[in-house]
Amino acid sequence: MMQSVANPVVNEEVKTESDLADAAKIRYLSADNTVFSKTPGNMLSVKVAEEEHPTVYVHCSFPHTNKRIYLSIRTIENKEIGMIRSLDDFSKEMADLLEEQVQIRYFAPEITNVVAVKQEFGYSYWEAETTAGLCRFTVRDGGGNAKMVSDKRLLITDVDGNRFIIADLERLSDREYRMVEMCM
Amino acid sequence: MKILPNEISTLLQKEQVFDKDILFWMVCDRTPDGGFVDTYLILCRDRLITIGSGREPSKEKIYKGYAMPRKKKSVEPVQSGEWTVEAVPLERIESVSIVNLVASGLIVVKETEERIAAAFTNGHMGKAARLVSLFTKLKKSEELNSQDLDDEQEHTSCPKCGMIYPEEGRQICPKCMKKHAIFARLLSFAGKYKGSMFLIVLFMLLNSATGLVIPYLQGTVLFDQALGGKGSFAGQIGLVILLIIAFRTLSLVFGVWFGVINARLAANVAFDLKSSVFSAMQRLSLNFFQKKQTGQLMTRVNNDATELQFFFVDGMSYFIVNAMNIVGITAILLYMDWKLTLLCFIPLPFVFLIVKKVFPRLWRLSWRRHRKVSAMNSIISDTIRGTRVVKAFGKEQKEMERFHRSNVSFSDAEQTVNKLGSTVFPVLNFLTQTGGILIWAFGGWMVMQGEFSFGKVLTFVNYMYLLYGPIQFMNNIVNWWSHCMTAAQRIFEIQDTVPEIAEKADAVELSAMKGDIKVSNVVFGYEPNKPIMKNVSMHAKPGQMIGVVGHSGAGKSTLVNLISRLYDVSEGEILIDDINIKDLTTASLRKNIGIVSQDVYVFSGSIAENIAYADPDCTVDDIINAAKIANAHDFIEKLPDGYDTIVGTGGHNLSGGEKQRLSIARAILHNPKILILDEATASLDTETELQIQEALDSLIKGRTTIAIAHRLSTLRNADYLVVMEHGKVVEDGTHDQLMEREGIYHGLVKKHDEALKMNEVIIA
Repeated sequence: MMQSVANPVVNEEVKTESDLADAAKIRYLSADNTVFSKTPGNMLSVKVAEEEHPTVYVHCSFPHTNKRIYLSIRTIENKEIGMIRSLDDFSKEMADLLEEQVQIRYFAPEITNVVAVKQEFGYSYWEAETTAGLCRFTVRDGGGNAKMVSDKRLLITDVDGNRFIIADLERLSDREYRMVEMCM
Repeated sequence: MKILPNEISTLLQKEQVFDKDILFWMVCDRTPDGGFVDTYLILCRDRLITIGSGREPSKEKIYKGYAMPRKKKSVEPVQSGEWTVEAVPLERIESVSIVNLVASGLIVVKETEERIAAAFTNGHMGKAARLVSLFTKLKKSEELNSQDLDDEQEHTSCPKCGMIYPEEGRQICPKCMKKHAIFARLLSFAGKYKGSMFLIVLFMLLNSATGLVIPYLQGTVLFDQALGGKGSFAGQIGLVILLIIAFRTLSLVFGVWFGVINARLAANVAFDLKSSVFSAMQRLSLNFFQKKQTGQLMTRVNNDATELQFFFVDGMSYFIVNAMNIVGITAILLYMDWKLTLLCFIPLPFVFLIVKKVFPRLWRLSWRRHRKVSAMNSIISDTIRGTRVVKAFGKEQKEMERFHRSNVSFSDAEQTVNKLGSTVFPVLNFLTQTGGILIWAFGGWMVMQGEFSFGKVLTFVNYMYLLYGPIQFMNNIVNWWSHCMTAAQRIFEIQDTVPEIAEKADAVELSAMKGDIKVSNVVFGYEPNKPIMKNVSMHAKPGQMIGVVGHSGAGKSTLVNLISRLYDVSEGEILIDDINIKDLTTASLRKNIGIVSQDVYVFSGSIAENIAYADPDCTVDDIINAAKIANAHDFIEKLPDGYDTIVGTGGHNLSGGEKQRLSIARAILHNPKILILDEATASLDTETELQIQEALDSLIKGRTTIAIAHRLSTLRNADYLVVMEHGKVVEDGTHDQLMEREGIYHGLVKKHDEALKMNEVIIA
């Protein structure tokens, strides 16, 4: 029974996909039609064909799994100018510029070495070497403040909502893991 | 306001800016490219000054809430040369705004072109929002009131260690409050059972005191005196046996007594703990529940309370008695023969070593188990609540796999804990038993040497075995103690969470409301600088019906949540009968405001109980009248069990319309002066909606009503309409006025009519 209908189902799926794309009407930006530039005020501006936007922001669709694909270019009013399928579609110079914007938006020091985590009274006090220097911060226990956002990536949110990342839990030493585990 | 660092003040003085000129200042602590560098933004009446540091990014950063253990907080003095100062007159600046990034923000200043002035981490968001709001007021030449200039109540810090309280409104310094404090707090729970606790300890002591005599009777008295024919009991075996029986019986009686009282206390303490956590949870604001998973909360109430119950009932009393037993028995042993006593302590260092090494690991593993149980429980409760979705998508298999994965990892965690436990405890047992063997060996040797009598060795060994129980208990209690303190910590966390919406101490009780609602310039956001409501104003006169219209996400529901004070406004005020709702008691608000919303909740219980929820003491007449007005009476009468029909979890399933009519009946009985209809008919079909509409029409009579609706037809009766978009009121007026204006409302009505026509076509 399943076998006999296998083919039509596949066909239909292909059709659905193109239908979806038609329905979604997402505008994809490519190197041919789009030029990004940095303003003197250090902001990002974009020119798509004849359309110019003085300040735009770069949002990642997958900030934890891949920051280089499916970037959404948006205005401050959250209106989408268009999407970028992959940074690889752009010149290195342009890609660097966009990556810099991603860095600005998704600022989260990446923890390279957990120095100490001390738990007390519903809070844990972290001391960790990060890509932005030695950070000391306070995390409220529970409530998903230290949560896995992919198989091995841990996102830690402190009392103010500041974010810290452990990119790969498996790379932690046993000693570090023991401390971190108690906060998860 | 906090004081500016000296070097910054000096810099400012060079610019002819003095403290009195400064309206507001803030530190922005990061650079856009990811390092930590301070930039000071200083707002004066005539200019905005940016003082940027030319230094390398700081290698260290301390976020809010972290108290430095050592006093090395002071940053090395900065030379003034390293700073760059830039002052821009306000008239040249068009706007100052905040760009929300993920967990941080940018301050963007627009002169002719926009530029990034500074970047800051999330902790400074509140300050940045104030800077922007002050600038905007200055720019519009609005008068700054004292509230603007008065620095908000900053997070106060712990007077003892200087650490900032990690949470606003929670004046507890986690550093300075130690486990003994939790313990003391726990004791206060047991406070009202002082009598029972005293009796328990007393009977336990009597039980062990009578028990302690027995080894002496069985050893020295029986063997050396009665059998050996020496001393006061020579030859009187019968008497000695009788004494032994008597003491055993006494010991048994005390033991039973203690057990009975203990059982009663156990149940009472568990009851108290659970109800205290549950009522603490009820007190909390809506926000708290939206942040926590229900599964986690349920585990918390149940498991943690049980854990604490064990501690109280078994832990506490056994601790006291066992401690006294250890002291007592050791004293007896030392008195009998100190050398032998020391012998039986030989294995103890090993025991302690194992405890110290292995127990933290055991503790960590059991935490892992706790985490896995919570995860598994969440899956169970998710799937049960989402059964319809699971079935509709045919994802039973996938859910089973998901559960299986979580079950496997729980079972792994469980196994690791148990394996470690079942290795460690037998080893500990063996070690402690070794002491006994040593005594037999040396004691036996001494008997053969004639230095010791056989009875005495027997007494000695019996006492020593009595010592093992208490010592093993003490081994466990360390583990137990931390377990319980964590459970207590979690429970107290719920109790200590300050409800975000708190009643003022001198709040006004308003028994009879007129129902006049004034919303003026309300700004609200769940987070600073992410406003969902922007400058919303409206006025509902007593008895009026106000319709709120707008696309979904326009902030309509937020508006009614603010009016009923489920959340507090960030700026502006809401007045009911000219009193700010923050000054009213919660009771008078709840009593006078009724909400009928789209998601209707039916509690487990009979239909009558559900209707009478607001006023359980009402008469049967009231219930039936309310049901009749709400158009619910007829369907209820049709049910085989009538008003006694049990609904809710596991009970009779009511349809959406039926539930909605129950909730309207509930609101009618509640009889509020202000009625909020939040999409009350949105999820119903047209026919049911018509019936409900009738019910609603009779409900809104004589009340101030604020109605939110997608279907504009339901709002045709409204005296006044407010059209909202993106958190702002964009149009208001009567239906006719708005239609004349041909603005957004006009557009919505046209779309609505078209949709209706479409519907008719489809139905036809």
